[in-house]
Amino acid sequence: MLKWFEKTDKTTPNIICSRIRLVRNLQEYPFPGRLSDEEAKNMIRKLKNGLKGLPERDGIDYEYIALNEASDLERRALTERRLLNATLEQKKGPAGMIVSEDEAVSLVLNGDDHIRMQFIAPGLCLKELWSRADRMDDYINERFPYAFDEKYGYLTTYPTNVGTGLRASVLIHLPTLSKGKRFNSLLGEMGRFGTRIQGLNGEGNENYGSLYIVSNQKTLGVSEEEIAEMVNRVALQLNSQENKVRKMAMASHKIERADEAYKSYGVLKYARRLSWKDAQEFLSSVMAGAADGLLEFKEPISIYKIMLGIQTANLQKLTERPLTKEELDVARAAYIRSALPDLM
Amino acid sequence: MLCERCKIREATIQYTEVVNGVRTEHNFCAQCASELDFGQYSTIFDSDFPLGKLLSGLLGVGGSSGDEKMNHVVCPACHTTYGEFVKNSRFGCPECYEVFDLLISEKIKQIQGSNSHKGKQPKYQPLMRYGHVVQQEDEAGQTGAESAEASGQMEKSSKAARLAVLNREREAAVAREDYEAAARLRDEIKALKAGEETDA
Repeated sequence: MLKWFEKTDKTTPNIICSRIRLVRNLQEYPFPGRLSDEEAKNMIRKLKNGLKGLPERDGIDYEYIALNEASDLERRALTERRLLNATLEQKKGPAGMIVSEDEAVSLVLNGDDHIRMQFIAPGLCLKELWSRADRMDDYINERFPYAFDEKYGYLTTYPTNVGTGLRASVLIHLPTLSKGKRFNSLLGEMGRFGTRIQGLNGEGNENYGSLYIVSNQKTLGVSEEEIAEMVNRVALQLNSQENKVRKMAMASHKIERADEAYKSYGVLKYARRLSWKDAQEFLSSVMAGAADGLLEFKEPISIYKIMLGIQTANLQKLTERPLTKEELDVARAAYIRSALPDLM
Repeated sequence: MLCERCKIREATIQYTEVVNGVRTEHNFCAQCASELDFGQYSTIFDSDFPLGKLLSGLLGVGGSSGDEKMNHVVCPACHTTYGEFVKNSRFGCPECYEVFDLLISEKIKQIQGSNSHKGKQPKYQPLMRYGHVVQQEDEAGQTGAESAEASGQMEKSSKAARLAVLNREREAAVAREDYEAAARLRDEIKALKAGEETDA
């Protein structure tokens, strides 16, 4: 089965994927920070047993990963594919993850909260993802009473998640807009709608690849539908702004744009050593070139899949041994050469 | 706002320093913040920290002496103290929300822009307050025998009024930092609520 990030969605080429994260806690246990290892193991066992019916319900296979028994490299690779965040990766003590074979659905058990559900799909589809999350939430709640409060809503470890426990986010590629002088003030303006925009790989010029995450700031006092709608709207707004500046650039500097896209493709296709930063920047140019119709591939391709694949832990897993920095750059170039299809 | 140290990146961390009663505010980006020495706070600037930890400032670190007194309030269920909560911005268990309710309600409002939930409710469980089952008034009324219904409602509404009064008194007690009175009122409210549950 294809992983979700191997699928391609051409309707809104700048929008890589949408994600819904929902946190829940069980009523009968203290939050993970106050749970003894013994209690935590018990709870995880109960949850695993209670959710045995998931594959049948969804018609797909799920795998269970005992995170505390997984190697550092394995955990790092999960973080690189955005299935874990850095705090969960570092977490000591019992924790587990139930993950669907396409990695679109994952449930972290006993992370920061008892249950952290995550749903990802390519393109802009927060509404559909929320309804999937909503159904999964009901399915779990049928089996396990939640810690819920009339006033504060779903109770969570961090006060920043309380209420809906929902974080809706969209990953968007803004290579042209982000180079503009007005970009920072644009980000500020977006903040007024209750959304936050962060670079996926860092801030400012260090955000190699120009991928940005749009997400809701608040989780309390707004309904799930309102959150999804708001993030959706801001993502669409950014997308149309990006398209506007790209169109202008295409009209006045078509040769320069095409040159950049083809040169980037050429380097990626033939280089023998590539640092992560360089690879990320060239892939970003190729992604933009493909979206603008400058580059046409012989077969459909998800550039984002390559961006996920060129990260350190993933490359080490592929080669099945630890690599020095030099060896990593060689392995990265080889990976890209084989993953990048020919042009028409 | 740009980081005042590197003047390149956007400032995402606001650091308030109080030295001998003089208060200075600084704005740094995550990278510069991690390079500076903030003593015990340095660790929170590790590259991918959860937003929650940064809220310590909002939640009352370096606040008034009243907050310091409150640092010893402890959740009976999981033994998290208010001081620990403020330090880590983490609750220990569902019960903490009840124990710290009056102390955090306003602060949660500052963080979230609201302190009351709007949105989904669990479908498969009774209504909860702080993780305890709450008797739903209308349902109780409907299921009760008709003759008993009227008197039951009466009693209910007087209890609700009493509860409202107690809650107001409790809030006032907290406002004037009379925590002993607030704790007494909390127990009284709890007892009244428990009575209501066993009645029905």
